[in-house]
Order: sequence, then C-alpha cells, then structure tokens
Amino acid sequence: MTATLSRSVPITRAPRRRRPRSRAAAWAAVVVIGFFGLAPIYWLVVTAFTPDERAFTFPPSLVPTEITFDHFTKLAGNEQLFGYLVNSVVVSVLTAFLSVVVSAYMAYAFSKFRYRGRKSLMHLVLASQLFPQALLLVTLYAVFSASGLLGSYTALILSFTTFTLPLCVWMLKGIFDTVPSTLMEAAAIDGASRWRTLHRIALPLAAPGLVAAGLFAFVRAWNDFIFALTLTDPDRQTLPPGLVHTYLGEFQTAWPDLMAASFVVSLPVIAAFMFLQRYLVGGLTAGAVKG
Amino acid sequence: METLNRRAAFRLAGLSALGAALTACAPDAAGGGAPQGDAAAKTFGFTSWSLNEEAQKAAVQATVDAYAARNGVKIDTASFPYNEYLNQVTLKLRGGQLTGAVQLDISWLAALAAMGKLKDLGAQAAKGGYTDVALSSGRFQDKQLGLPWTTGSIGLVANTEILKKAGVEGMPATVEEFEAALRKVAALGGGITPYAAATKAAQLKDILPWMRTFGSPLLEGETITVGDDASVAAVEWYKKLYDAELIAPDVDRFDARALFAQGKAAFYDDAVITRGVVAAQSPDKSLTEKMAPLARPVLKAGDTPQALLWGHVIVVVDGEGSDAAADFASYATSDTATVAAFFEKVKLPPTTTAGLADPKVAGDTFTTAWTEKITKTATPNPFWRYAGYAQIETAIAEQVQAVLVGQSSAKDALAKAAETAKPLQK
Repeated sequence: MTATLSRSVPITRAPRRRRPRSRAAAWAAVVVIGFFGLAPIYWLVVTAFTPDERAFTFPPSLVPTEITFDHFTKLAGNEQLFGYLVNSVVVSVLTAFLSVVVSAYMAYAFSKFRYRGRKSLMHLVLASQLFPQALLLVTLYAVFSASGLLGSYTALILSFTTFTLPLCVWMLKGIFDTVPSTLMEAAAIDGASRWRTLHRIALPLAAPGLVAAGLFAFVRAWNDFIFALTLTDPDRQTLPPGLVHTYLGEFQTAWPDLMAASFVVSLPVIAAFMFLQRYLVGGLTAGAVKG
Repeated sequence: METLNRRAAFRLAGLSALGAALTACAPDAAGGGAPQGDAAAKTFGFTSWSLNEEAQKAAVQATVDAYAARNGVKIDTASFPYNEYLNQVTLKLRGGQLTGAVQLDISWLAALAAMGKLKDLGAQAAKGGYTDVALSSGRFQDKQLGLPWTTGSIGLVANTEILKKAGVEGMPATVEEFEAALRKVAALGGGITPYAAATKAAQLKDILPWMRTFGSPLLEGETITVGDDASVAAVEWYKKLYDAELIAPDVDRFDARALFAQGKAAFYDDAVITRGVVAAQSPDKSLTEKMAPLARPVLKAGDTPQALLWGHVIVVVDGEGSDAAADFASYATSDTATVAAFFEKVKLPPTTTAGLADPKVAGDTFTTAWTEKITKTATPNPFWRYAGYAQIETAIAEQVQAVLVGQSSAKDALAKAAETAKPLQK
C-alpha cells in the first residue's frame, strides 16, 4: 500500500496557484474592510477642511464643494490646546517609560527564575485586568485624594501604568521565554553577574518587545479620556478631555474645529507608529512560538 | 503555549475574588458627615461648565472677575465638559473636593441635593427678586437649594418662510391645526421634514410634553401615569406622524438643529438658545429673522400649552467659603446690571423681574416672545425629583421608539415603560 502510494504521489509538490476568482474575493474583502477602516478618517479630514456653515449640509456631500483652512488657523492660535498637547506628551512618554522599565524586570523574573508562588503571582497580574476601569476609578480617586496626589501628573501616570503593566508583563515574558537560557549560562560562566546578564544580554535581545510594550502603553495613555478628566487638575489634563472641553458644549459641537484638531493631534501617534512599526510587528509576534 | 488547567483556573478565580473584595474594601470616597471648613473664608471655588464653552466663557469669567474685585475675595474656578459634568461634580462632592458655588442644570438638582451637602439659599432667594417660575427651578423638597441663573424652556420653533411657502396662515394653535400645517409642508416636497421631532431614543424624552398635552400628568403623587389613555393617545398620534413621514426617523436635537439650519425643517423643539446655535450652522444669514417661537399646540382651545422648563441654577456647597459663595451666587443671578450684561453677551434669559424688564432684555423681541409664549406656562419634568430620573426617561424613550418602529403597541409599550420605571423612583 505504502509502496503504491510512493509511486503515485510525488514527494514534493509545487505550490498551487491561487485561482483568479479567490484572488478577486480576497481583494473585495480587503476593499470592504479598508472602506470601513478608512471611511471615518476620510470623513474626519473632509470635515476639518469644510466651512462651518457647510458642515451640516443635508444630504451630506462625500466630496467637499468648498474648502477652508480656517479651522487649522484657529488651532494654531489656541495656546490652551498646546498646553493639553504638552501634558499628553509628558504623561504618555512617562507612562510608557515606567511601564517598560517595571514590566521588563517583572517579566524577566517570571520568565527566568523559578520560585514558590510564581504562577499565582502571574495570574494575579492577569486578574487585575478583569476589573472594569470605572470601578477602579472611584478607588483610585479616593487613594490619590487621601495621599495628596490628586490633580498631579503622578496620579495620572501611576493610574495608567496600573492598566498597562499586566499586558506589558505578559507580552515581555513571552519574549524573554524565547531568549535561550544557554546564553545566560554562558554569560555566568564568563563571570557576568545576573544584573549584567539582564542588561547586556536579555534586554538588547528583547528590544522589539520593549518597543512594542512601550508603544502600547503610550497609546493607552494618549487616548484615555475618563482618567485624565477625573484625576488631574484642568491645567494638567491631556488632549482627549482637552478636546472635549474646547469643542463639545452644552448646545453645540464645533465639529469642523474638532476634526481639524483631531487630525493634527493624531499625527504624532501616526509618525511614532510609522517610525517604530518594524519593531512593533516583531515585538508583538515574538514569543508567540517558543524557539 | 501555556494553558490554564483546572487548578490554575480555580486559583485565578480565587485571586479575582480576592481582588474584588479588596476593591470593595477600599477607602470610601463618600466622606460623609457634617460640612467642614470655614464658612466665612474669603476664598471659595466656582465650578461651571460654561467657563470653558466658547460662547459663554468670557461672559462668565467677567462676572467672576467683577465680583472678586468688588469684594476682595479669591475665586478658584474649575470646569468640566457638560456631558461629563454631573459625574465629575458628584464624584468630587463625595470626595470632599468640591467647595463653593457650583453651576447646575436644573434637572440635576435632585441628584446632588440627595447627597445632603448643599446650603439652603432661602435667605438669598427671598431678597433676589426672582420670578416664581425661576425660583421653582431651584427648589427641592421645600428648600431653596439653587438660585436660578437662567430660566427658559424647551419649546417649538418654526421657520416662517417655509410655512408661508406651504400656505400655512398663522401659527397652529391646536394639535389638529398643527397636523394640518405639517401636511401642507410635506406637500412642498424638496426633502423638507415638516417636524424635526426627536425620534432617536436619546432624545425621545421630548414626547413627555406631548403626553401632557394629551392630558397625562406623567406622575401623580408617587404613581407613574405613563400608560394611561392620554399618554397612549399621544404616542399613537406621534406614530401616525411618523408613518405619514411628517416626522423623520433617527433624529435627535443635533440632527434637528442641522436640518433646521439648512432650511430643511419647518418645526423643531429646542431651548431658547436656538437662535444663536442655528445661526452658527446655517448658510442662510437671514434665517434668524425667519425663526418664530410658538406655544405648543393644545388638544382643544383653552387648554394650557405645555413646555418643559429648562435652565441653570447656582448651588453652594456647605463648608469652606460657603457664605461668600452664596453671596456670589446671589450677585451673579440677581444683580440687574450683571444679568443684563450677561444676557447681552450670551442671550440666556435672566431670572429676576428687574432683569427681564431691563431694556437690554426687554428689547430683544425673540426672547420676549419666547418667554411670553413658551416659558410662561413651562413646568419641570416631574421625574426630576428622583435621582434616577435619567433612567426613567430612558425607559420611556426606549418603549416609545419600539412603538415608532412597529415592534410594540403604544399601550403595551407604555405599560412596560411604567413597570421598568417604577423601581427607579428613588
């Protein structure tokens, strides 16, 4: 039976070429999904360049009939928004930095050391993700209020870090798991301390993961609305509450101004993603399969 | 890949429960008890969403600065966006982080009053010269907890140019005349929505004044009357307009304003600020001249037109600086020169007899007409007395929407709404 098969079935087979019809279906799927992904961005950009009195034209026009740069000009002269932008950068960068530093050490300890209660600790870290943010907000508010941190950058950075840390730890643990222990052992034989081994061998090898974790933490802090609104003073609030403050009112929403501001403030994040995307892809997938 | 075995899953569940318990045992942010702080202090806070709204912030800040300079006090201002305001103020009041004067929408008064930290402003109210309807907006359980800052109403506004084109003579006074006017407008075609009434659940609370128009009190004592014959008749009438395309699907206040601003709606419901809001969105620079407020049509001649009271009050938190804050609240809401200047800048009607009589206010024909035709007979939403009023409104709105889309009969839907609302009366 086996001999028969070995004669009739070739051992290697050239990859089958995809049929044109299935390729067309794949392209159609890409176009549909792309439309849903890009349409809101397109509408954001179009609205940002539309004069106020044309923004509500009914029925709406997909192609702008009139273009204005007024909303961007107004934005350039808005010092308050610039303040929110600075706050966002400060809070997001420090959150990312703190998350990466703490989670790197935690993940290394979970990955490379064996001790009693290790798995329980890991699950405790993961369990913290189960609580809804609104529940924690009230508790954090009380804690920061009692400790005198309410209204400060510190309150915001610590609260964001509590949310980003669990995922960063699990992401980085997966990456450290892929770093061969033989490398550590070789370093130890050569006389390197554990500290030196971590900093000179493990961390450089985990660099893509560190970037991915940092970006995740950065974006989480950059986009948050409710914590930034509740835990800080108005002069330390970040862009999301700042934009709402500035453009969403009781009676009216300045949609074209809001869209212009949203367009501009999303540029730094887009730039960061473009610059770091090669690390991001590598970092997110590293550790998915143990080497 | 590491998977959770049964023991690990139990461990995870146990840890989650532990975490939940720890969260539940976390320090209570309520900070209850007697008010703390020096009531006679010369520094106090003023929290207001208007302090950050483009159209109003300069006028509000001018009032704050003028009072601070005149009385030698320091006022620390704070602001939150309108849509998040009640949550933020509640959290901060519970946490003892809120002092001084606080701007409130009149519908939020009960929610804050229930926390027992607001100062009774009866003495300031007595000497302010406020109108009765304005004072009623700041009263909760026989206590004057808020001084009325602006008092208006949510009522109907019409585009007279469209009505003229449609051949509608004069403003409709009865429901029958109103429906006839809508049909005439519909006959114009051109994509005009005759009545840009609320049909999205988020704003379907606008049906409540219509229920009153048809004779339902909505609440009698503690009994919700939604579901009585009158409210059922109102919803059936609304459904009739919907089926006849005299009102349009998926419209909320923002959509209605946009339609009206583009000259695509003949009637819609809004507050007295409609003129400024619509003008900002309209390519037609003369639209405001074509706008006219009208009393909500009544079921039969002689009935009282129904409208929803709307406005802002200033409340004062007992404790640090509350005496000076109460004086500031009185100044901001009743000093005639201040309220008249405020009206001139933001077009929000004042709340005192003297303020309304000031030439700057009385000379504004649109506001005067609105006050005479709509605000005069406006009444508060009876559900505002409950802290959970918003959920009650939502329960009713969702059921009315079910009627509009044909999922339920008006009778069944409103009976269900009343049943859902019952446990929320606290």
